[in-house]
Amino acid sequence: MPLIAAANLRKTYRLGRVDVPVLRGVEISVEPGEFVAILGASGSGKSTLLHLLGALDRPDRGDPAPSIRYRDEELVGRSASTLDQYRTTQVGFVFQFYHLLPELTTLENVLLGAMIAQGRLRFTASRAEHVRHATNLLERVGLGHRLRHRPTELSGGERQRAALARALMNAPPLVLADEPTGNLDRVTGAKILDLFSEMHRQGQTIVVVTHDEATAERAQRVLRLVDGQMVKA
Amino acid sequence: MYHALLTRKYLTTKIMPLLASLAVMLCTGMVIVVWSVMGGFLRHLVDSGRSLVGDVVVDWPNVGFPHYDELIRRLEARPEIEAASPAIVSYALCVLPDGRKEMVMIRGIDGASFERVTGFDRALYWKPTTEPARRDTKREDPRLNPQYAGVLNNVFEAGRTLTVPAPGGVRVPAVVPGIEVTGYSRRSPLGFYSTGFGRLSPPDAAGGERWGEVFTPKDVSLTLHCVPVDSKGNILDVVSRTFPVANEFQTGVYEVDRKTVLVEFAELQRLLKMDAAGAIDAATRPGTVGVGPDGRESFVLPNVVGVSPARATTVYVRGKGEVGNAEELKAIVTEVYTKFAVDHPDAPAAGIIGIGTWRDQNRMMIAAVEKETGLVLILFSFISVTAVFLVLAIFWSMVAEKTKDIGILRALGASRSGVAWLWIRYGLAIGVVGALGGGTLAYFVVTNINEIHEWIGQTTGTFVWDPRVYYFSEIPARFKWFDASIVVVAGVLSSGIGAFVPALRAARLDPVRALRFE
Ligand SMILES: Nc1ncnc2c1ncn2[C@@H]1O[C@H](COP(=O)(O)OP(=O)(O)OP(=O)(O)O)[C@@H](O)[C@H]1O
Ligand SMILES: [Mg+2]
Repeated sequence: MPLIAAANLRKTYRLGRVDVPVLRGVEISVEPGEFVAILGASGSGKSTLLHLLGALDRPDRGDPAPSIRYRDEELVGRSASTLDQYRTTQVGFVFQFYHLLPELTTLENVLLGAMIAQGRLRFTASRAEHVRHATNLLERVGLGHRLRHRPTELSGGERQRAALARALMNAPPLVLADEPTGNLDRVTGAKILDLFSEMHRQGQTIVVVTHDEATAERAQRVLRLVDGQMVKA
Repeated sequence: MYHALLTRKYLTTKIMPLLASLAVMLCTGMVIVVWSVMGGFLRHLVDSGRSLVGDVVVDWPNVGFPHYDELIRRLEARPEIEAASPAIVSYALCVLPDGRKEMVMIRGIDGASFERVTGFDRALYWKPTTEPARRDTKREDPRLNPQYAGVLNNVFEAGRTLTVPAPGGVRVPAVVPGIEVTGYSRRSPLGFYSTGFGRLSPPDAAGGERWGEVFTPKDVSLTLHCVPVDSKGNILDVVSRTFPVANEFQTGVYEVDRKTVLVEFAELQRLLKMDAAGAIDAATRPGTVGVGPDGRESFVLPNVVGVSPARATTVYVRGKGEVGNAEELKAIVTEVYTKFAVDHPDAPAAGIIGIGTWRDQNRMMIAAVEKETGLVLILFSFISVTAVFLVLAIFWSMVAEKTKDIGILRALGASRSGVAWLWIRYGLAIGVVGALGGGTLAYFVVTNINEIHEWIGQTTGTFVWDPRVYYFSEIPARFKWFDASIVVVAGVLSSGIGAFVPALRAARLDPVRALRFE
């Protein structure tokens, strides 16, 4: 059974009077433990697709009905709280622009996911454990010496490592990465991709969207998003 | 959990929330200060209004009622009642030393019992004192001068007994006018009264007392023209009498201090023909010409058939310490009076005689100041609504600035309500910081308001609170913890309300758009 399987995903943006169809019935299926790359030109709708898979956004209704199945659960049409829960526990996001909270330290940024997932009492009760886990993750991505730094005091590569650690904090079965090396130089980007490969070796399911062929090469399987539809590479 | 962390971080790393807290602080501080000053003012006025009234007043105006001494005995027999004192309240045309004639209220009081009921001694102005008025830093108040202590003590005693010493070692009845009546005592900007003319000089070598150079009523006397009313309410001929001035009193209520003259009770009673007298048989028409049994014409002599008892118009009553509530005391006095009226059919019936608390007596004045306080508070609360909008505006822009953070939180699984709560909580936190700061500020200002006022006056040259205008030489502000906490809580809530709309905006943000926000 695939970890996540989507079908008939359509998304049309309305700009003034003009409808801009971005996704025109996308189909995708990702098995557990797979490392999938989705290649597409800029503006082809990669981010849009990733947001749908991560339940940050909802696909357009229509016929045939869109569907996003996670394990054996349909996500389309589910309540907001179910989707919040899904994002908290099942998905880890990595973005092109890192999206760390500037007021928090590296460690706090990583802990944030656990705080949201656990709620106040449970988090406080096992705070030390969470801190240990977050520290481990940061050490794993090579940021053990940057725990108390603010994002502005980190380099781009370091920020993306922190973002990666944050995505892994709640041990999500699915990691969704949007152009994770888009803002980094080749060498730094390669190091980030090494981390993805390592995660993949340890069994992590990863979906990366990118326009960069080099990034896609790291993946087990590459798909192309062309004209709003998924094409095998 | 992330709420607490982020609230703390946002509060400590940004200048905007500091500004918002500052706005909340100023608003709450301002409202508390205004409330404290107005409340202190009201309290002071109420206390002043109470000072010559006691707790409960029994009143049958102008005509007066008989057997008042028995009523006082019965009242004082009650364990709840500390003391009662008779008085006569009437009006007179008063001829002032400079020839002016003014209508004044005259109150005949019995010095000793009046003191027990009303703390009359406190209201007497001319007496030795050791505490200078706040602004009187050079101790210019003549009452502070130890040289005058002896003289002032005599004047004080004169005031207490409403008599002045006369040649031959006797004391003659005197009056104690309010300090503003004669116009001779002027209130200085420093907050004390001094004589409008004459210079201070030590007692003369012979040891003679030169009262006038210490306090106003030097050889001053007032002539009162008043209209007696007999026990049936008939108006009798106008009577006049000149009294020496013994002392002056100050209650702090301008109307009272300007228009009241206290007279020795027994003397006023005689003057107004309210003392005990022979009662005559009206049917004999005394003073007319009749024909005697011997056939000769003669004036009809009054046929004395009994005694018309002495009357008083008013009895002031003071409760014992435990009877804090004047209303309770009023009920007790009413009960006593009801029995008294049954035993004395010639006294006004219980239902029609006026029995009121000191509050009833000062109803108009208290109501006016209470209304004023309310009005000012409402006005300032309106101004404080600004604080709500300020928080709203500041939060609105902060939500805009933090759009990306909101998107990130949503991507990490935070719910819409969670995000909304984050901002409301943030608003409340700003409210707590601001309102507590405002409370502290207000506490500092209120407890030091006179020093602050003094300082402002000295640096700018204008004193907002001029003791010549207001009756109290100090701004009577009182910091009340209860009132202050109401304002602080309101300040916190206003901030929460101010944050509510931006919080809704944050909650409704589309996370995808928020994430695309660069
Ligand atoms: N909220 C929106 N309103 C209107 N158009 C939008 C909106 N969001 C995205 N689009 C449009 O949809 C198209 C797809 O956007 P999307 O961000 O998914 O592309 P992308 O493949 O991720 O591009 P890039 O590689 O540059 O990140 C773009 O043309 C974009 O202009
Ligand atoms: Mg994109």
